Amino acid sequence: MDSKLYLAENVLNEHHLSGIESRAQSPRQPGQTVRHQQHKSQIEIDTNTSGYRILFEFHRNENAKKPATVHATYVISGIQKTPEPAPTNDNGNDEDEVMASSPYLPSSMPNQGETLDSVITASIVVVREEDLEDAKATFQSISFIHVYSLEPSTLPDLNVLVDASRENASTHAQDDPLECGKQWGMIQNHNVKRRTGPRPPPAPAAKAPAAKAPAVKPKSSTESTVPAKRPLQKEAPPAKAEASKPDESKSQSASAPVSQASSKASSKPAPSKKGSLFSSFAKAKPKTKAPAAPEPAAQDMVLDDASEGEAEELFPDSTEKAAAANRESRKEREERLKKMMDDDEADDEEMPDVDEEPTRELTPVEAPPPIKPAELKEEVTVNGGRRRGKRQVMKKTTVKDEEGFLVTREEPTWETFSEDEPAPKKPAVNVPKAKASKPQGQGQGNIMSFFGKK
Amino acid sequence: MMAPDTHHYGFLCPPTDQEEEPVYRTPSHYNPRLTYHLPAGAARHYQQQYGDMYFLRLAKLKPSVEQVARDAWEGLVIAGEKVRRVDRVLDVRQGELCWVAGTVYMELPMKPNILEDLTKENFTLAPIPRRTYTDPSNPEATQIMMEDESGRLRLTGNFLRSTQLATGAIVAALGTEDANGDFEVIDIKLPDLPPQSPRWEGKAPENGPDTGKAHGKIAFVSGLGITGTSGDTLALELLTDYLLGYTGFSETENGSPTSSSKITRLIIAGNSLGASVTTDATADGKPQPKKYGYDASAYNASPITQLDNFLAEILPSIPVTLMPGEKDPANFSLPQQGIHRAMFPQSRAYSAPPPRGDDKPEAGWFDSVTNPWDGDIEGWRVWGCSGQNVDDVLRYMTLESSESSPDGSIDSDARIRVMEAMLRWRCGVPTAPDTIWSYPYQSDDPYILESCPHIFFAGNQPEFKTATIEGDVPLRLDGDTDMTDADGSDVPRVRVLALPKFNETGQLILVDTETLEVEVVRFEVFKGQEEQK
Repeated sequence: MDSKLYLAENVLNEHHLSGIESRAQSPRQPGQTVRHQQHKSQIEIDTNTSGYRILFEFHRNENAKKPATVHATYVISGIQKTPEPAPTNDNGNDEDEVMASSPYLPSSMPNQGETLDSVITASIVVVREEDLEDAKATFQSISFIHVYSLEPSTLPDLNVLVDASRENASTHAQDDPLECGKQWGMIQNHNVKRRTGPRPPPAPAAKAPAAKAPAVKPKSSTESTVPAKRPLQKEAPPAKAEASKPDESKSQSASAPVSQASSKASSKPAPSKKGSLFSSFAKAKPKTKAPAAPEPAAQDMVLDDASEGEAEELFPDSTEKAAAANRESRKEREERLKKMMDDDEADDEEMPDVDEEPTRELTPVEAPPPIKPAELKEEVTVNGGRRRGKRQVMKKTTVKDEEGFLVTREEPTWETFSEDEPAPKKPAVNVPKAKASKPQGQGQGNIMSFFGKK
Repeated sequence: MMAPDTHHYGFLCPPTDQEEEPVYRTPSHYNPRLTYHLPAGAARHYQQQYGDMYFLRLAKLKPSVEQVARDAWEGLVIAGEKVRRVDRVLDVRQGELCWVAGTVYMELPMKPNILEDLTKENFTLAPIPRRTYTDPSNPEATQIMMEDESGRLRLTGNFLRSTQLATGAIVAALGTEDANGDFEVIDIKLPDLPPQSPRWEGKAPENGPDTGKAHGKIAFVSGLGITGTSGDTLALELLTDYLLGYTGFSETENGSPTSSSKITRLIIAGNSLGASVTTDATADGKPQPKKYGYDASAYNASPITQLDNFLAEILPSIPVTLMPGEKDPANFSLPQQGIHRAMFPQSRAYSAPPPRGDDKPEAGWFDSVTNPWDGDIEGWRVWGCSGQNVDDVLRYMTLESSESSPDGSIDSDARIRVMEAMLRWRCGVPTAPDTIWSYPYQSDDPYILESCPHIFFAGNQPEFKTATIEGDVPLRLDGDTDMTDADGSDVPRVRVLALPKFNETGQLILVDTETLEVEVVRFEVFKGQEEQK
């Protein structure tokens, strides 16, 4: 494709703004591409021509045929005069004048008034076609002027050129800069060190699905992620204090497996043997995601996963849900507690209390919360003999509630840990244990049986 | 390559038919040091007391400053009284002419006070930035003291008005104790520049002597201030083009910017991000429910994404050293650890792999380093900070100029003088841990400059300024700053750079690798008729 034809098509045929940038072209380099942002197309220009000159020639020819059809933006480089005078209003619209008269021949003046401590300050200035003469007037010496971009009309805001080039960059994101750089006219470097591996997702838009992935924690197959879950069935003290009635505690233990299943399905893919629909989904999900993480670059992934692990900590997306659930349950519990306090005060009417509580507790939707915070989860990543991860620990917090009572609660909080020593056998042991305890929980789980085993 | 009709500015001409050779960048010799690298994970403790740092600083610098003082004052007789050296500040006797070395401590009316913060329970918040700690309306409230492990001694006297000090500096003071128990100072000596090792530390570079012939440039930029919006910077775009060689250049003509192929390395000295990555939840007035963890609505990823794009664009051609700054997503207290590479999904391919175990991490092509940072570039020892050190020391000083011209040239002169003072105090961040948050070092005070750097820079200054500092010139913080050329090659010579903010000035600073000469390249958009409408 002829470059003139290309430019003509893209600049002249479009009435809306379209910038053709020559930014990827060095006049010294072979193999330029003229990029057009809107059509996301590119053409290869003969290797021995220069992009800037092509733009210039096109601009000159077109405006010679019919003036002011193409508008240009220039880059001026050189040494500016000391103060920047306010640009005057005379319009130098004829760019041929630029060619003909060159009043600012480069003069060698190393030290300027403005430059401090005899420092040479060179300027690179982008200027619109109509301001070109004004801009040139501010220069004491000019080393070069070239066409930066062409567009059908004056740009009201030159910053659109940034948008244009960003768009441009995203269309070329798939090109390896190390290979194509030479073609673009980039200064080459022999010593570039780049790790091999999967090329990162090019644009933020394309990154979105990948960013979602860590939320489900699909660790690549090369990593050994052990989402160990220890259902330490400890009851929260406030709940226990009130749960002195036998039928209530029974109802709580009965609801335990339900809560386990639901929490599992919502938050983590856990190695569970349950045939629950939810848990099977939870299991299937990481399997489908795992191949998405490129397999051939196994080596690199191992190296990289330290950062991956910490990236997760930066955005602990998965914990959010759990935290929200916890907060909800806490609120609920608080409400219930308050109610009980009220009931305690009105001590004589004990019968309604008994009637009310079990019915409340037996509804499966409400039952899970009291148990849920008792679950301690742990996630361990082992790599290179180091253990890192997050674990849930119970922390006692004492809070003064609205009525001035001090309420001590045990709440699960996430804390990160990392140890330099090789992973102890403990988490590995924990997994089978957790698994072993599951079937028991399935058949009307009894909390005490867990403690008995330990 | 020039056609006959093209001598007007080179490129405003039709295409020519000549073959052009690819340009290759001058290689970079780079050896970062891990002075400010903190141990990871459990090995990083915060239980220690800060007192250890001051103790270590005094123990390390006292011999040097006493040597300087001894050379100057030994055998000195003033008004018939012989000057005597006193070991500890509490040994000073009233009416006796003596000199003593210790740590300066300044009590300033507006200085942040951790005990006050603790009682107000706002100690977890970052300190409110203040312009100055001094109270110009009440200069009496400023007290300068000298302390060592024995006690404190208040310093007074007219001499202090002509000199500038800051907490944490180790000095020797000559004077007498007056009737009030204050020490009337008549002279002060500083440790002065530490010994400087020659370039390449005396060893020739590995690649032989011919690397010395090629004049390379080290590029410094700071305060990119990327916000991720389109109003961001055409200047940043021009910078990218320039660094990659897209802008074009002609070496034959004087006044053109140096060919960017000569630039061996780019150092980004802090505040690469302009907008805060977390949008202020309380900005719209109504309190929002606090969400835990990652919240897409409260997190603005655009600035860091644009920074990543910028880096990924230039990294194929130029190695980059990235220092975090005050506004960057790193820890707040010095030394700030490098911005984690997880923040750079695209450019992290150029960074070094994470170290395994206790191996020394290798230097990456893209090196996200600490702030402050030191290392060897092209054989020169470079020490730099993103500017917090200079900003904070300036808050200790009452500058006469500050009333007349808030950000005038006198102010930037003061910044250079502060940097000079730091070198002469041999302490890069004197006010840490007093007014700059710092990691509580226990066995070492890394802020001491053990060996004199060749290039000493501070980022994010209002204006570009440079000077050459030489040893053995008496420090005159108040006086003129002209550096008299001392002969003798053994004298330490430091190129001091106050780097401007790029998003305000559009300036890129180039330092020659052979002569340490400085050049500035400025990128800007001409304010034409469109802007004036």
